[in-house]
Amino acid sequence: MSFMDFLNFHIVPGVVLGSIYAVGAIGITLVFGILRFSHFAHGDMATLGAFVALALVTAGLTPWAALPIAMAAVAVVAIVVDKLFYDYLKARPKIMTVMASLGVALMLRAVVQVVFGVDPRTYASGIVRPDEYFGILLRDRELYTLAAVVAIVIGLTLFLRHSRWGKAMRAMSDNPDLARLSGVDNRKVTMLTWAIVGALCAASGFMLGINNELHSMMGWQVLLPMFAAAILGGVGRVEGAVLGGLVVGIAEELSIFILPAQYKAATAFALLLLILLVRPRGLLNGKVL
Amino acid sequence: MKKRTVAAVVGAMLGAAVVAAPAHAQDVKLGLMAAISGPIAALAPPMAAASKLAVAHVNEQGGILKGGKLEVVLGDSACNPQNATDVATKAVNIDRVIAVVGPACSGAVLASANSVTIPAGVLMITPSGTSPEITKLKDKDLVYRTLPSDDYQGRALARTLKARGIAKVAVAYLNNDYGKGLAESFKSEFEANGGTIAGYSGHEEGKASYRSELATLARGGADTLVIFDYGDGTGLSILRQSLENNFFKTFVGADGMKSEGLVKAIGAANLGGFFVSAPVGEASASLDNFNKAFKAAGENIDAVFATTSYDAAFLAALAIEKAGGDKTKLAESLRAVASAPGEPILAGEWAKAKKLIAEGKDIDYKGAGGDHEFDAAGDVPGNYAFFKVSGTGYESIADMK
Amino acid sequence: MDLLGLANYAVFMAILIGIYALLALGLNIQWGFTGLFNAGIAGFFAVGAYTSAILTSLPATGRLGGYELPLVVGWLAAMAAAALIAWPIGKICLRFRSDYLAIATIGIAEIIRLVIRTEGWLTGGVRGVTGVPRPFGELDYMPSQIAYLAIVATLVLIAYLLVERQVKAPWGRMMRAIRDNELAAAAMGKQVEARRLQAFVFGSALMGLAGALFVHFNRSITPEAIDPMIATFLIWIMLILGGSGNNRGAILGAAVIWIIWSVSELLTDRLPTEVAVQAKYARVFIIGLTLQLVLRFRPEGILPERQAGSPPHR
Repeated sequence: MSFMDFLNFHIVPGVVLGSIYAVGAIGITLVFGILRFSHFAHGDMATLGAFVALALVTAGLTPWAALPIAMAAVAVVAIVVDKLFYDYLKARPKIMTVMASLGVALMLRAVVQVVFGVDPRTYASGIVRPDEYFGILLRDRELYTLAAVVAIVIGLTLFLRHSRWGKAMRAMSDNPDLARLSGVDNRKVTMLTWAIVGALCAASGFMLGINNELHSMMGWQVLLPMFAAAILGGVGRVEGAVLGGLVVGIAEELSIFILPAQYKAATAFALLLLILLVRPRGLLNGKVL
Repeated sequence: MKKRTVAAVVGAMLGAAVVAAPAHAQDVKLGLMAAISGPIAALAPPMAAASKLAVAHVNEQGGILKGGKLEVVLGDSACNPQNATDVATKAVNIDRVIAVVGPACSGAVLASANSVTIPAGVLMITPSGTSPEITKLKDKDLVYRTLPSDDYQGRALARTLKARGIAKVAVAYLNNDYGKGLAESFKSEFEANGGTIAGYSGHEEGKASYRSELATLARGGADTLVIFDYGDGTGLSILRQSLENNFFKTFVGADGMKSEGLVKAIGAANLGGFFVSAPVGEASASLDNFNKAFKAAGENIDAVFATTSYDAAFLAALAIEKAGGDKTKLAESLRAVASAPGEPILAGEWAKAKKLIAEGKDIDYKGAGGDHEFDAAGDVPGNYAFFKVSGTGYESIADMK
Repeated sequence: MDLLGLANYAVFMAILIGIYALLALGLNIQWGFTGLFNAGIAGFFAVGAYTSAILTSLPATGRLGGYELPLVVGWLAAMAAAALIAWPIGKICLRFRSDYLAIATIGIAEIIRLVIRTEGWLTGGVRGVTGVPRPFGELDYMPSQIAYLAIVATLVLIAYLLVERQVKAPWGRMMRAIRDNELAAAAMGKQVEARRLQAFVFGSALMGLAGALFVHFNRSITPEAIDPMIATFLIWIMLILGGSGNNRGAILGAAVIWIIWSVSELLTDRLPTEVAVQAKYARVFIIGLTLQLVLRFRPEGILPERQAGSPPHR
């Protein structure tokens, strides 16, 4: 096996998959950090985003044009879901919100199944052969995926670091009581967080769909790798989620060299357990909640 | 929510269940257990539609027994034993079905047969349960299937590929009883006939990327990939990712891969090197009848297990008619109507069959998906054909031995 | 209406409710009394089921088995195996906070499921284990079910009494103390970690027994039975609805949720055919919605935890 083959057939798919995981993991880590619970509905929200984009594509838009609209739509859905199902549980132990998010996951998935059915769908039919860039084989959609992920990460990092609202989010992540005392409106920050998380879910679902196929279980099946990525990188750190996502994605693709391919899904869990045992703060020293 | 409220809600539901369906004295109910939710949810709707088409044919052409309606009781087995046994119990005890078509998944068949239909003396015909474990059931002759056990198709495919000059293949199979069963029987027959398996890899469904394992399989040096998976599921991903990365030149699948959705998603122009096998009946006229009727009903004739689902329901109806509605005579009646000798009955020929049964004559149903000559265990051997992609569907190019 | 048929259906439902009740009782020990968020119930259920199946079933080619040991051995071994697996998992994972414990246990249940599906030499892989004996299986349909129900009901009763006794005893008070205020309990010299592990293992053993009862009822086990929806999340919803921290609540929750799950299907059957298939997807929606409603309006469940003295403060 030549080095280029190794790169193209094992590393590149891992990187593409990893960036998709990264986008989802960023959302999860934001919820972990700012709202302090594990959002089990994250995967199914991504599914919803992917299918909303599919509906727009069926109505005539090109896929990448449908993406921003889908992101906006799911942002709104996320805010509504929070108001209906999570908000009243604020004062209670966080574990109840986790359970509520599980219920929301089931409901979102059922809606997608009823509206779109259970057949696998695609944004575009046909196959796409890759182009060659100095020996590396990449398809347009993969290039755009990577570009989108980079844009999201840079945009979000700048936002969190320099804008007023970003700083408010970080303040709430560090210490909500102190943040409130300093004049941060926690409710507005929560709404903003959900809007961003919803948009990120939609983006990760869309990218998953455009690189593979869409089906109603797609989000649930990537939920645990995304959790693994978020925790691996360090909870509450956006860069950590990106690093975690890439590690999990590449590890999954490389795992077939050590284990039979049936165990691919176990790679993410194994990494998760490992990091929880060895270094619970994650690779980039996040919080330990 | 007070305790009384809960009790009231539960009581109301039970009450509703009790009064739910009014039954006409002459009507006969047929249980239809489909895997509507669960891992093969995409395959279920056409299978249910095909079975319902058979029931429609019965009702349009004279009805069941003394002109009563054959009614379908649809249940979701969800492809797991918990739901399957629940659905079977309801069908057998509340709806009083005497025959069941389904379930679709072998695990569900084993569980519901063992705990419900065999003890209750109810006939069960599964259109898609392929596990060899079903053969081993101690079933008082009540469990049948209208498709061959994985063993047959895998072996037939192996022989066909060898005969076409393909001596070296890689195998990618879905890790469920369908894919694994086919892969194992294919491998043993292919190697026994002198072929080489240059790569053999199982995968679970639902992963986003299979490129790594496909790359590893391709490195084995084979030009042909044999895919034992569903074209409406992970099989589509595998085929697409292989095509996009130029991993193999020729692709071969079993009946699970014979999907119209796959042709639509990938494009017939890209599928010149894609072939599938599928069980077919000796009387191709029967298949034509089914295809015409199924298409007229707005369904996709290439749907996986559609033909076997139709046959299972039609055979159940024939057995009920022959047995005069007597549960205890169902098994022998089924064998009588399905096996040679007898006047051949094709798919859709209910009126003709009804008349012959009334005259006491022997009939032999030749189905859309096979002749269904049940052996002692209720299994059928298979007749297969080899298909290539043509237009938006498939076209048979050879019979498989 | 056919009363005999309805009675048979009720007996069948009662058997499944009994099996789910055992699972819910096990979860209650772990979550209700000790505050451990075990989201990997399916894994322990699977271990118990497969252990009993492998030990008691007929021989089969390509797979370990054929020991044909007596039922009681199988069931005891199921409990022991589930407990044995729970021990290292508990030792490693129980120190995590509840969210992480949930994620870790989901992961472990998934790994167990993948191992079961892949290692055919041990578990029959995707083909599963068949030829499992069933007590009173030779009887006719209805008597056989009633006999099995008697066995399940007896075991549920024994489990219930055992757990109730433990809960009312000092052990129970100590577990609640650890759950509600770990630091204070540790300061008072209670061995927090060891007690938590005890509860985890004990609960898992009950889950293993439930698995064994399930296998023998169906005379077979295949990996689809370990699907997380039907073997983990449904039980969580049962416990939350019934009342976590209350053993009778656990059993009641199992009954109510299973009845809703099963009877709602009868109602969807009466819908016109085009909608009937869609309606099956909606069942999951109903269950998710039920969870939300319970959390919103009655988070302590139908039968809340009985506190001797101070009001509940969870």
